[in-house]
Amino acid sequence: MTTPLLSIRGLRTTLATERGQVTVVDGVDLDVQPGEILGLVGESGSGKSMTLRSILRLIRAPGRVSGQVLWRGRDLVPLREAEMRAIRGREIGMIFQEPMTALNPVLSVGAQILENLVAHTDLGRSARQARAVELLDLVGISAPAQRVNDYPHQFSGGMRQRAMIAIALASNPTLLLADEPTTALDVTIQDQILKLLMHLRATLKMAVILVTHDLGVVAQSCDRVAVLYAGRVAEYGAVGPVFAAPHHAYTLGLLRSVPDARHARQPLRPIGGAPPAPDTVGERCAFMPRCAYATAACATARPPLVSLSDGRLSACVHWDQLEANEWAAV
Amino acid sequence: MGGSMTMSAVAQSTANAPETGSAPGEPLLVVRKLTKTFARSRSLMDLVKGEPRRRVHALTEVDLSVRRGETLGIVGESGCGKSTLARCLVRLHRVDSGSVTYDGLDVVALRGAALRRFNRRVQMVFQDPYGSLNPRMTVRATIAEALSVHRICPRREMPARIAALMDLVHLPLSAAGRRPHEFSGGQRQRIGIARALALEPDCLIADELVSALDVSVQAQMVNLLLELQERLHLTVLFIAHDLRLVRHLSHRVAVMYLGRVVELAETEALFAHPRHPYTRALLDAAPELDPSRRGSAEAAVRGELPSPVNPPPGCAFHPRCPVAIEYCRRVRPELVRLRDGRLAACHLAATEDGLVQSTEL
Amino acid sequence: MSGALPTLAEAPTEASLRRKRLRISVPLTLGIIITVFFLVCAIVPGWIAPYDPLSFDYSNLQVGPSWIHLLGTDNFGRDELSRIIWAAQVDIQIALFCTIPPLIVGTIIGSLVGYYGGIADMIFGRVVDLVVTFPFMVLVIAIVAVLGPGLVNVYIAVSAVGWVFYARLVRSEIMVLRQADFAAAGRVMGYSDLRIIFRHLLPNALIAVVVYWMTDMALDILLGSSLGYLGLGAQPPTAEWGVLVSDGKNFMDTSWWMSVFPGIAIVLCGTGLSLLGDGVADLLAVKR
Repeated sequence: MTTPLLSIRGLRTTLATERGQVTVVDGVDLDVQPGEILGLVGESGSGKSMTLRSILRLIRAPGRVSGQVLWRGRDLVPLREAEMRAIRGREIGMIFQEPMTALNPVLSVGAQILENLVAHTDLGRSARQARAVELLDLVGISAPAQRVNDYPHQFSGGMRQRAMIAIALASNPTLLLADEPTTALDVTIQDQILKLLMHLRATLKMAVILVTHDLGVVAQSCDRVAVLYAGRVAEYGAVGPVFAAPHHAYTLGLLRSVPDARHARQPLRPIGGAPPAPDTVGERCAFMPRCAYATAACATARPPLVSLSDGRLSACVHWDQLEANEWAAV
Repeated sequence: MGGSMTMSAVAQSTANAPETGSAPGEPLLVVRKLTKTFARSRSLMDLVKGEPRRRVHALTEVDLSVRRGETLGIVGESGCGKSTLARCLVRLHRVDSGSVTYDGLDVVALRGAALRRFNRRVQMVFQDPYGSLNPRMTVRATIAEALSVHRICPRREMPARIAALMDLVHLPLSAAGRRPHEFSGGQRQRIGIARALALEPDCLIADELVSALDVSVQAQMVNLLLELQERLHLTVLFIAHDLRLVRHLSHRVAVMYLGRVVELAETEALFAHPRHPYTRALLDAAPELDPSRRGSAEAAVRGELPSPVNPPPGCAFHPRCPVAIEYCRRVRPELVRLRDGRLAACHLAATEDGLVQSTEL
Repeated sequence: MSGALPTLAEAPTEASLRRKRLRISVPLTLGIIITVFFLVCAIVPGWIAPYDPLSFDYSNLQVGPSWIHLLGTDNFGRDELSRIIWAAQVDIQIALFCTIPPLIVGTIIGSLVGYYGGIADMIFGRVVDLVVTFPFMVLVIAIVAVLGPGLVNVYIAVSAVGWVFYARLVRSEIMVLRQADFAAAGRVMGYSDLRIIFRHLLPNALIAVVVYWMTDMALDILLGSSLGYLGLGAQPPTAEWGVLVSDGKNFMDTSWWMSVFPGIAIVLCGTGLSLLGDGVADLLAVKR
C-alpha cells in the first residue's frame, strides 16, 4: 500500500456545550490514500461532520482537538493558527452543505475565487482573472465569462455548489473535504454534483473525503468508506466488499434499513432505538443496546478497530458471525 | 387490557366509517384539472414598467385519483408542487380552479362545519417534526384536544382512548405528560400521526413524513405506516422525494414535474419501465445502493428546474430532455392513457404506442 | 415488532431536574422579593407603616432620618417612611390599571390582525403610525388635559394609547407563528380560528408580552410619578411617589430626604419589576 496522504490516529474532539464538555469525536482512526474518494457515513450525531472539521481544526474556541492528524507526514494538531492557515484552503480545500451560507452574498462569485487565488497562488492580475473563468468552466457553469461577475443569489442551488467547488479548487488542493455537499440538493442535481466531483478527482488527481448520510451516495461515488457510530469508526474498507458483506452489525443494520426494490410493502428490518448521546457509552460496544448480535463479550470493553484481511477494519466483536446482506447475494 | 380493546374500537370505527362508501379499489379521491398559483409581490421596477403581477405556477391542471385502501406515492423534486398539492387537498390552500372530489363530495366548495367534517376524514401529517407540534402542549393535551373538539368519545373514556392511540403508534404511555422538545424527531412524527388518527380518518396524507429523519428511524416509520394501513384500512397519499421509500410503500406512483403530473403508473411498472423521460432521469439520478452497479460517468439529466414563474412553452421538461424534438418545444403533451394502462404526458411515448399519428410530430 | 419500538428520550433525570430548579435564578429571586415587598406595602400599608401618613405633627417639621422617623419627616411633620409605604398603594394601582386594560385589549387586537392580516391589518398599521408619531408622554398629557387631572383619567389616557404597543408586539409574534406547521395542523384538525389563535399561537407569543408588561409597569409608575409631579395625576393630600418627589423639591437644600427616598422607591420598584419580567420569561421559555 502506498503511503497515505492523510493519516488520522486517535482523533478526539470535545465541544463546550451548556451541559459541559462533550466528546463528539471519540478516537477516530482513518487513512486517506492519494486520489481516492473516502466516504464518511453515519447518522446524525455520529461525529462525521465533526471529524471533517477537526482535520482543519475548524472547532470554535472552548472546543478541543487532540490526537494525531498526519498530513503528508506532518502532524497538524500541534500547529499554530498561522501555520494552519497555510494549509487550510491551499493544500486542503473544503465545501459545505449550504452554499448560500458558505458563500459571501455581497461579493460576486468571481471576486470570491480571486480572493482565494490571491491568498494561495502567485498568479498575476490578468492570469487570475483568466483562471477564475477557467475554474467556473471546469465545474460546469455555462457562459463562465459572463457569470463570473454574478452574485451568489443569482445562482440556483446546484450552481452555487458548483461555484463553491470552483472556489475550493482555486488553490489546486490535494485533498477536498466535502461536508454533505449534496444533502440540500434535489436528486438530479445531486447526481450532477457527484459526477462532477468524480470527474474532478480523476482529472486533477485530488483526494476527496465525502461526508454523507446517504448510503446510495457512498455506493455510487466512493472508493472506500468509513462507517461512523457514536464518534468512532465502526467499520472501514473498500466500498464493494463492505456493502456486500458488512463486518460490523451497525453497517448491516444501516444497509437493511434502506428499502429495497424486491420486497415492496414488506416490513423493513430497522435498527431499533436511537444512537446514544455523546459520553454515555461507557466501557462497552456503543452499538450494543441496539444490536441483535450482542453478547456478554460486547459488554466488557469498547471493541478496538482491528485489522482484517483486504485492508478492512472492524470494531465488531462478532464481525465474522454476521449474515450476509441479502441483496448482495443475488 | 382495556387499552387494546379501545384500540380495536379505533380500528373498527375507522373501517366502518364510510357508510356511503365505494368498494375497495374504487376511486376515493379524484382530482381534476387542479390549478393553483401564488401571486408574487411586484417590485417597484415592475410597477414603473407597468408589468402585470407575476404568478408562480405551483400546480397546473393536475389530474389524479386515489383508490380506496391504496397507497399512492407522489414523487418529484422540490418545486414540483407535491406539497402544494397536499395542502390543496386538505384545503389549507384555496384552489384557483379545477375540482377535488372525495367520496362524491365536492371538496373545493366546502366551508365551515362541512369543511371540518371533511377534515375529520382526510388528515395530514407534516414534514417538519420540530414545527408541527405545539411546543407548549403535552402529548396528552394534543391528542385530548383533537378528541374533545370533534367529540370523538365521552370525556370519561378519553384517557383510555389516548392510551390506545399512543399504543397504536408505539409510544410508551409514560410519554403522555411530556412536551415535544423531550422527544426525538421520529417520536415527534409518531405524535403527529397519533393526533391525526385521533379523528379516525379514512385517508392520511403524509407530506415528506420521514424526510427529516435518519435512515434507521425512517425504516421504523415505514414499518409503522405499513402496520397502520393494514390495521385501520387507511388510504394513504405518501408524498416524498426519496424514490426508494416511495417504491417500497406505494401501490401506484405519480411523478410530478413543475406543477404537473407527468406519469402515473403501478409502482413496479413505473420503476421497471419508466415511459416519461423525466421519470427515467429521476430513476437514473437516484443513487443505487449496490456499488457493483454504478451508473455512467455522465449525469442523468442536464440543467436545472426552470422558473415556475415563466414555465417553458410546450413540454415543461423539454429544455432538459435528452430526446426532445422540435414538436415538444411547441405543443404541450396531454396526460394520456398508454397501452399498458398507465398515464404519461409525453409525445414520444404516445407515438410509440400508436396513440398519435407520427405525421403530426 | 420489538425492532420498531422507539426508545424514549431519557426520563427526566436528577441532573435535568436540578437544572430546572437552578433556573429560578438570583435576579429572579431578587425581583420576586422586591415586588412582593411593594405588593405587601400596597395591600396592607396600615400594618407596616409606623405612623399615620396624613396626620400633621408641627413639633417635628422636616426632621432628618433618625431612629424615631427612619426616613425623616416632611414640611408638615408627616412621617416620610409611612407616606412612601402608603404611596405604594397608589403607585401599584397605577402600574396595574395603566397596563392591564391595554394588555388585554392589545393582545386580542394584535392576535386577530396578526392572524387574519388583510384590511384590518392595514388599518391597524395606520393607527400604529399615528400613535408612534407622537411621543407617548405628549399624547397622554394631551388626553389628561382634555379629561381633567386625576388618576382615573390617567388610567383612561394611558390605556387609550398603550394598547397599540401591546398589539404591535403580539401582531408580529403571531405573524411568525401562524406560518408554523402546528398552525396548519390545527386547521387540518378542523379547529376553529379562535382556538388556533388563542390556544395554540398566543401561548407561544406570551413570553414577549410578559416581559414587555413588566417593563411597561415600571415605565407607567414613572409616568404616573411624572404626571403627579406635574400635578396632573394623584391629587394632594394622596401620597404618591411622584407627588412626594415633587413636594420635596422645594426643600432640596435643607431636607434632601423628602425627595431622595421616594425617588429610590420608584427606582427600586421599577428594577424589581424588570428583574421579575426577565426571570419569568426565562421560566416560561420552552424548547422547540
